Order: sequence, then structure tokens, then C-alpha cells
Amino acid sequence: MMSDNVIVTQALSKSYGSAEAVRGLNLSVGQNRITAFLGRNGAGKSTTIKMLLGMVRPSAGSGTVLGKQITDAEENRELRRRVAYVAEDKPLYGYMTVEQTIRFARSFYRDWRADVEKKLLENYQLPLRRKVKMLSKGMRTKLALLLAFARRPELLILDEPSEGLDPVGVEHFLQALVGRSAEGVSVFFSSHQIAEVERVADQVCILEKGCLLVDASLDQLRQFYRRIDLVFSSTPPEREFRITGVERIQTTGRQMSVFASKNAEAVVERAHDLNAVSVEVVPVGLRDIFLETVKEN
Amino acid sequence: MLWYKAWLETRARFLTSLMTLTIFCGVFVHHALYISCSDTFPCAQGLIRPGRQADLYFLLMVTQNYVVIMWVLAVVLLGMGGIVRERALGTSSLTLSLPVSRARLLGVRVGMGVLQAIALAVAPWVTVFVVSRLAGLPVFITQVGLYVLLLVGGGLVYFTMAILVSSLVTGEYTAPATAFGVVLLTAIIFDAWLRRFNVWRLVTGDFSIDRTTYLLSTHLPWLGILASLSVGVLMLLASTIVVQRREF
Repeated sequence: MMSDNVIVTQALSKSYGSAEAVRGLNLSVGQNRITAFLGRNGAGKSTTIKMLLGMVRPSAGSGTVLGKQITDAEENRELRRRVAYVAEDKPLYGYMTVEQTIRFARSFYRDWRADVEKKLLENYQLPLRRKVKMLSKGMRTKLALLLAFARRPELLILDEPSEGLDPVGVEHFLQALVGRSAEGVSVFFSSHQIAEVERVADQVCILEKGCLLVDASLDQLRQFYRRIDLVFSSTPPEREFRITGVERIQTTGRQMSVFASKNAEAVVERAHDLNAVSVEVVPVGLRDIFLETVKEN
Repeated sequence: MLWYKAWLETRARFLTSLMTLTIFCGVFVHHALYISCSDTFPCAQGLIRPGRQADLYFLLMVTQNYVVIMWVLAVVLLGMGGIVRERALGTSSLTLSLPVSRARLLGVRVGMGVLQAIALAVAPWVTVFVVSRLAGLPVFITQVGLYVLLLVGGGLVYFTMAILVSSLVTGEYTAPATAFGVVLLTAIIFDAWLRRFNVWRLVTGDFSIDRTTYLLSTHLPWLGILASLSVGVLMLLASTIVVQRREF
């Protein structure tokens, strides 16, 4: 039976010598959703993606993409036929022209859409006869995106896709991403651009030092994550607030700031019990959630 | 389209080698056939004395020796590149994301390389054949064919060695330097201690030439050719295993 998840990993790990790039990753990426994969540089995002696509062998654990085992060479080849991938550094063959690159990529996929290719070529204004090595970074990114978006894959895996794009390019990219999702394409993308993630993502996964720290829908994050700013008449007792859901407490004199992933009501209640002079509950954005999560760890 | 990619990647090296080998052979044989008589060469018609067909075939043997040097250099350079080199260039993730097995990627590269190696063996000898005919000193086409056969049958092992080196060594200069080092080292070692198994001598025709007529015997050293090809196949298998196990 096919699960509703397009990507599933179980205790997926990767070590390079003594360095652990990914540690026991249990990831589930839902079908028809835009899932953002966040993390600092070196958190293990690209290594995870490379394991999913068979470029890197896991040290331990297992995983499936579209129901295919990632460690089985034949199954991995089959899944790559159904997945469109844009790598972090937007690799393209410098000796090919834009036209040759498109012709080359098109020959491998039955889901190529000539009409979309034409439209994207117009939008991106890519010079067909120019060698790829002569293109600017932004143009290369656009060409790499065109190769992915001109198809109709079941899953789009994008590794820092908007890097190098100008604001107009970013806007086109985000619209295209939402458009593909609306067509039923599942999207899994890593990014450092939290504002972009916040605009399009349904689900957010935060990876830090190879461990998955957050895996929740954006709505859940918005609903449960809160910062509670408290003021007391004397130095507040921090330990009173160390309850389930409290991720971080910062105390400066009589002021206290509590960052909670859930249970914000309990924190407020406790603050009132302790006669807090001021209690303010502030909803937090994804940027703060990300920063607090990785700071804590 | 993988063939097209392989062609685009190697065409500059291939065409340069093809041009160099063809021009060299054309000029060398033409010059040798028409070289002026001198005290060094007391003959009526240059290096090739009238009625001495052996002179003509001696010239072919010398030509083969030069062709082998250039051909081996060329096929070693054609063997460079591939997915390991792409990793250093940063394009391996595009290639490996294609729905194609690593064995097929290597297979296409080897296929293109073998075709180019054959072309590099045929073109200079066709030039020699044509130039000698135009000079009124035609050579037997079978002799030309035998030289080509020795070059390809015996010499492809150098190409497969280059493929293996390129699967193990990443550097742009380190890989060809290693491959050329291996060629030189094996030539020296085999010549000193294992002369009967020296591929270089097999390819130049040293094992099958008649020292009086300078004609290649039609009884080619098939065993040597077969052994050389077998070593080549083994090296390709080793390359496939290396590439399949490698992480990118």
C-alpha cells in the first residue's frame, strides 16, 4: 500500500569519519504539500537530499522516496525519473549552450512539457545560443529551475533554489512553486530565505547538527509558538517556568522572556500566580522560531 | 543524449588529436618518400631505393612507432574526465540526478572513447595509404589494416587504464600525470624484465614483423591481443565497481 508520504526516512544517518553529518533522521514529507527544510550551513540538509537521490550512501538507517528504497540502485534510478531536482550549486555543463542543455535534459523525461518550457524561456529571457559558462549566476539559476519546472514530476526536490535570483526572479520562482503544488506536485525544498519559506511552505522541518528538531505545519508553528514577555517587581524565579513546552528563558533584571513551543497558557497562568507586573504574549514568526531553535541547541 | 554529452566533452581533444596524427603522418610519409638523395642516403629516389620494397615497409614500421606514441597520448587524454572529474567541477549532482545508472554513464563514455580511438588509428593510416599511392609507391592495404588492428586491438588497454585512473584520481592534472606515469613505467618494466609481454612492442608490430621484408606477418600475435583486450575489460570492470561505490 502506498503511503501518503512522498519521503520517509527511518533513523537515517551519515558519518564522514568521526563527523556525523546526519544523525538518526526520521523524516516524513507529505504528498501534495510544500515542505521546507531549514537549517544552518552544515546542518546536514544537502547530505540528506543527496542520500535521498542515491548520490551518498547512508551509514545507517533507511528511506524511501515515492515508495522506492533509496539504497537500492535500481529503485533509486526509477525514483529519479519521477523526481525533479535542483542542486545547491545549480550544476550545469559549461560547454553546452542553453538550447543544448534543455534538449539534453528533455531527452531523459517523459513528463517534459514543451509549452511550459516555451513559457519559462520567455519569462526568464534566457539566451538560447549562449554557452552556459557565459551565463550570470542568476541566469544559471533560472536555467536550472527551468529544467525542473518544465517537467511534471511527482516530487520536486530543491536545494536552496532561489539563491542568486533577483527579487523579480524570486517572485517568479515562488509563484511557480505554488503553481506546481496546486497541480499536485509535492515539493521538498531547503532554504535559508525564511521569509520565502513563510510565504509558501505548508510544513517546516528544522535540522540542526544532523538532528531533526522541528517537524510541524506552519499553521501549527504559528498557533503554538509564543514569546511571553514578563515583568516582575523583584528578580523572577526562572525554575518556576521550566515546564513542558518552554524552550528558552532569558532573564534580565526584573524582566523575563519565555520562548515556548506550546503551553503558553500555563506560562501566563504561572506568571499571574507569581504576581507578574506585566504579561505580554507575542506571536512569533518563523525567523524567531528558527533562531531560537538552533540557538537552544 | 548521453552520447551527445560524451561527444561534446571530448570533441576538442579528439579533433586536435585527429588533426595532429593525420597531418603528422601525411607530412612524415610524404617527406620521407620525396627526401632528396644525399651522401647519407645514396639512392635514386630518396629513402626508398628503386626495387627495394622493403625500404617502403621499413618506413611504415617507423611511422607506426611514431603513431603509437601519439595515439597512446591521445587515448589517455580521451580517457580523462567522467563523473569523478565532474565532482571536482561541481556538475556531478546534475549527471547523477538523471535516471541513468552509473554503469551506463561509464559505458557511454567508454563507447565514445573506443570509437574515437578507432578513428584515431584509422585516419593516420588512411592518410599514409593515400599519400603513398599519390607518390606512386602504393603499399598493401592489408599491411595498413594490420597496423590499425595492432594499434586498436593491442593499444585499447591504454585507454581503459586511463578510464580506471580517471575513476580513482580527481585532479585535472594529477589524473593525466598518473596515467602517463603508468604508461611509462609499464613500458620500462616490461621492456626490462617481461619483454615478451610488452604491450608497447605488441602495438608497434615488433613481435610480428619480418626483419628482411619489413612486412607484418598475417599471423598476428592473437594471444597477445586477446590478453591485452582481456586486461582492458578487467580494468573497465574495476572502473565500474569504483564508480558505483563512490560517493558524490
